Amino acid sequence: MGEHTVNRKILTYYVTFTLALALFTHTCLAVDKRSAEEALVNAESDLASAYGAVAEAERVGANMSELSDKLRLAGDLLAEANNTCRLGDYDGAYSYATNCSDTVEGIASQALDMKLEAEKTCSERLLFTATSSSIGLSALFVVSLFSWRALKKKYVKRVLEMKPEVRES
Amino acid sequence: MSFNDFRLLYALSCFGLGLIILSPTLAVVIRLPAGERFSELWILGPDGMAEDYPFDVVEGVGYNVTLGIGNHMGCLEYYMVYVKIRNQTEPLPDTVNGTPSVLEPIFEYRAFLKDNAMWEREVSFSLKSVSFEGNFCKVSNFVIDGHVFDVDKLAMWSEENRGFYLQLFFELWIYNGTVSDFQYYNRCVWFWLNMTVPI
Repeated sequence: MGEHTVNRKILTYYVTFTLALALFTHTCLAVDKRSAEEALVNAESDLASAYGAVAEAERVGANMSELSDKLRLAGDLLAEANNTCRLGDYDGAYSYATNCSDTVEGIASQALDMKLEAEKTCSERLLFTATSSSIGLSALFVVSLFSWRALKKKYVKRVLEMKPEVRES
Repeated sequence: MSFNDFRLLYALSCFGLGLIILSPTLAVVIRLPAGERFSELWILGPDGMAEDYPFDVVEGVGYNVTLGIGNHMGCLEYYMVYVKIRNQTEPLPDTVNGTPSVLEPIFEYRAFLKDNAMWEREVSFSLKSVSFEGNFCKVSNFVIDGHVFDVDKLAMWSEENRGFYLQLFFELWIYNGTVSDFQYYNRCVWFWLNMTVPI
């Protein structure tokens, strides 16, 4: 009988402790409005920086398909975060906003690397085409000089070989 | 052909050949002026056509429209669309001054679009807690894409159109990197919702 009472007490304490733990954990980890708004501001700023870097890289001709997809996903997350915040669900808003920041993490540096690579490729291509054009123009100049001489000679010879016609007046 | 004509023809041929040789470099260096830069915002009915927009609406019934954005700005752009709802007395965006409506948005969409790309999203909405009292109709909740928002909109009876009307409108905003913020792009689409219960 005594053992049974002790067991019941232990069980009661255990259940009470578990419920209290769950309640306190939730209360301690609950996100307030200020934290949610801070997370939203950070996410907004992170996304804008990432967008700026990707747009800059795309402007110089880098292939940004993969990073654009990440931006799209992050944009959806941030919109969802703002919409959730409007509903007063700060936990959800915080979660979406941090998820957005995590998604765009590293995009700016990747975009910068890709931009530098694209700029390098672009300048190499420009150098190659400029060199090819210069060589081509030089060759054209030399060839045209020699061929002009030859053509001129041929033309003069043909003129000299012409017989003058005498017309009776 | 005279000698002068012959010389001119030869010089022109050499010049033409020179241009052909230079063309790859010129294509890289010279930037031709781009066409007109603009962005589009549109809304389509449930069948993806510019018809059959929801008009006579009933509480609790879901309605769909398609929202779309088109980018012709020549580069990757970052867009935001605010969804707002108003009654007859509340302001729409000012198209002359290019300022947005002062009403708070109830929902937003964001999109990143490459040049000449478009974005479309189905928008589903419904009205919840609609009540009628005298000359007023009150819509307490507006459900959009599954989110229930407290809007508490009052629509007055319109003698002219014989009904209670609210207007759902969408504003296009574009991110301006220079000021590091979104700016209203002076594009807005809308449609009216008639909440009058048919007798």
